[in-house]
Amino acid sequence: MEQWTRREDRRLLTGHGRYVADLVVPGCLDAAFVRSTVAHGIVREVDCAAAREVPGVIGAWSAADLSGLPTCTHAAARLQDLPPVPHTLLARLSNEEAVTGREWPALAKERVRYAGEAVAVVVGEDRYRAEDGAAEVVVRIDPLPAVVTPSRAANDSIALFDGLSNTAFTGEAGQPIDESVWQGAAAVVEARYRQQLLMPTPMECRTILAVPEEDGRLSVWSGHQMPHRLRRELAALLDLPVDRIRVVVPDTGGAFGSKSAAFPEFVTVVYLAVTLGRPVRWIEDRLESMTAATRGRGQDQRVRLAADADGHLLAYELQIDADVGAYPHLGVGLPMQTAWMATGPYTTPKVHATVRSVLTNTMVTYPYRGAGRPEATIALERSMDLLARRLGMDPAELRRRNFIPAGSFPYQTPTGRCYDSGDYSTALDLALETIGYGTWRDEQERRRENPDALPLGIGLSCYVERSGGEPGGLHEFAGVEAHEDGTITARCGAAPSGQSHETTFPALVAQALGVEEDRVRLVEGDTDAQPEGLGSFASRSAQVDGAALCHACALLIDRARERAAELWGMPVEEVEWSAGSLRPLRDGSAAIGLAELVKDTGPLRVDDRFESGMGFPFGAHAAVVEVDPELGTVRVLQLVVVDDCGVVLNPAVVRGQAFGSAVQGIGQALYEGIPYGDDGVPQLANGLLDYLLPTAAEIPPIEVKDTRTPTPSTPLGAKGAGESGCIGTPAAIVNAVADALQPADPGLLQMPLTPDVVWRAARAPKYEEAR
Amino acid sequence: MKIKLTVNGEQHSLDVEPRRILADVLREDCRLTGTHLGCEHGVCGACTVLVDGEAVRACLMLAVQCDGRSVRTVEGLSSPDGEPHPLQRAFSAEHALQCGFCTPGFLMVAAGALEADPTIADDSERIDGLVESNICRCTGYEPIRRAIMRAAAESASRGKP
Ligand code: FES
Ligand code: FES
Repeated sequence: MEQWTRREDRRLLTGHGRYVADLVVPGCLDAAFVRSTVAHGIVREVDCAAAREVPGVIGAWSAADLSGLPTCTHAAARLQDLPPVPHTLLARLSNEEAVTGREWPALAKERVRYAGEAVAVVVGEDRYRAEDGAAEVVVRIDPLPAVVTPSRAANDSIALFDGLSNTAFTGEAGQPIDESVWQGAAAVVEARYRQQLLMPTPMECRTILAVPEEDGRLSVWSGHQMPHRLRRELAALLDLPVDRIRVVVPDTGGAFGSKSAAFPEFVTVVYLAVTLGRPVRWIEDRLESMTAATRGRGQDQRVRLAADADGHLLAYELQIDADVGAYPHLGVGLPMQTAWMATGPYTTPKVHATVRSVLTNTMVTYPYRGAGRPEATIALERSMDLLARRLGMDPAELRRRNFIPAGSFPYQTPTGRCYDSGDYSTALDLALETIGYGTWRDEQERRRENPDALPLGIGLSCYVERSGGEPGGLHEFAGVEAHEDGTITARCGAAPSGQSHETTFPALVAQALGVEEDRVRLVEGDTDAQPEGLGSFASRSAQVDGAALCHACALLIDRARERAAELWGMPVEEVEWSAGSLRPLRDGSAAIGLAELVKDTGPLRVDDRFESGMGFPFGAHAAVVEVDPELGTVRVLQLVVVDDCGVVLNPAVVRGQAFGSAVQGIGQALYEGIPYGDDGVPQLANGLLDYLLPTAAEIPPIEVKDTRTPTPSTPLGAKGAGESGCIGTPAAIVNAVADALQPADPGLLQMPLTPDVVWRAARAPKYEEAR
Repeated sequence: MKIKLTVNGEQHSLDVEPRRILADVLREDCRLTGTHLGCEHGVCGACTVLVDGEAVRACLMLAVQCDGRSVRTVEGLSSPDGEPHPLQRAFSAEHALQCGFCTPGFLMVAAGALEADPTIADDSERIDGLVESNICRCTGYEPIRRAIMRAAAESASRGKP
């Protein structure tokens, strides 16, 4: 194995990985969807007759074709009509109230509410045939005016659901702040920020393959983060007991939060597989993904931040109008994550965040790497820089003065979070030292005196994130089993999509048991092999599954000692465990290996549920940029990211995720954004070329460093990793550009900072001039 | 339409519809699923394979265009005795893959360039150019660049007498 650094590597580097699209199932049919080309409209006609005549097409259906049907008698389920899309209760992402009266049909019925919404499905012998059929479906939709931004949608002049407001959810964190606080403050800054909509863009799009088995069960393969949730949701839709469904997650080509729900296409495909009694798969292609897959972010924010003359923060107010897309089912409550995390790393005594989640004629918003925390961090950290400028104070000093001190954890924030641990100034100091803060400030001064030099800016961003999940979803199931041949099987409910679990978790288990690593094998992502689980989201796997595996190892050791004690007829306290063997404390001669114990006493397996607390990883990012005011271009000269995810299980893996995440953060700051026209149709005529993912040409020198403050929330002490770059990096870059250009109006610099945005900001009145 | 493809040294006589893209024929007809489809319109490079030694986007080429030609995919990268290609070892050593979906494309782009000119290690700009041609959403590219450098340096030193 020494040729391969990770266990995953051998198969993934030799072409032997198995992603859903690679699986061979005889007789499997391919589904293709016919999608609305308008964002809002009344469906007049969806006629699939011609599609059904196309050679190789097995069937074609509109929503009407799949409603009012007699109950299907297939062994796998009692099915009638195509069920609607379920909503997410987990992490309060959605709720009954928001979805009441707002059904999300898996295929649109009378009304389409976003461009890309499926109106018909065609199933063919292969994808070519299915698409041939899809091309023949006649669709007539009378367009309605569309609302594309939350501010326009909020006045309800155009309603997505007749008789219901477009505002589908409101919420708040913290207490309203009295006007007198603002009036009495030495400095108050106000700003508006737009958190643009982003495409998560894992390189593998969404996939699902549903196979009705001969024994009446249903097997489902999907590139997915939460196989047990998918099983539970599908079981409910199909009116089946959960144990009749098996969900398997094979190799998955990235997810970044976007692959954890039961999407409309999933509902349709599984329904068809069961009603047809045949295997059906849907392998999403990039073009459909660009309109019909969930997006991230999407907030219009207004902030006020007040401080006294010494720069001590007094109050912070954040108002969020969130664009949650056309249906409230998956993420209407997601902006609350921003509200809960609005306090950031500071001791601000009064913080109030309000959320209004508004439906628009765009695809649905859902967690994307960072999920609510980037929006919180960017708003606060941009405002901190505005305040520093207002006070004439160094931005690093302003932050330092307000950090929650390392000795004051657990810390209860005014927005309802209880931070577990933190040492924010150490992280900032390391970032400043690594980037050479003083040297860059000197260089900046030099350039300011030289009219020919390109302006240079330095940006900081200090963040707190949250990992593990929300109350009610902070647990995980894990188990370990010792075999007669000396091998160990570890199981847990996680489902990775590139995070190296197969390498990291066996190493962790081996360490906990004191056995060689190559004796340990990990089983994940199969609901038959691991019947209960939550999955991989909210940066939880190392923190929660890691701790759960350690917990299971401790139980296994206890159990083994009990058995040995029985075998030797001595009290359990007198049996010692060391490096995978047991021996009597007093007489070392009778040692017995774990394998032998299993041979003598029968199978040894423990499974348990483990409950973690929330973790609050943190860090400080610093960027130096050079701006060309004539071209509007931004060159990142240096980026330093310092993250603290507590105990690190595998430094190279964590580093790799921090680096990749920082690059997504750069994309968010400078390049990425979904360009919606006023008609609600994404302007992506050239496909992926029109969505500017960072390529290798856009990567500046990035240094990844860490501090390690263990979480007391689990005995293991690991907190979540991997989302840090999306959370910390964008504000560092935007602050650096603002520092270089010093525009009086911070609202001019809205992400992504394209040449057009930067060029305009470079021409606008400067801060000094405006004063 | 009947065509003959040599894939990783093996002859395949195939009957394919003229409209089928090379990637689909490799994946579905030859059952070589190491070649991935990340966009199907020529942008991401995940589908890159070598046709007569040259890197092509297998989603932009029809299988029938390859009649009589020789195709090399990621499955044909290791030597016949299973010894990994220097690029495969270097990608693993440098953590140049996470989810692995983009990986076959990067490997084949690099393999094509390296085999055409084993001296590319001397020219970091050319290596940059290779990495810039494909998209990876996980790694941030730097590890991929380092891996190609490492493999190129190794190949160059091996090639020396
Ligand atoms: S799949 Fe061919 S370039 Fe993306
Ligand atoms: S490793 Fe996941 S896209 Fe490159």
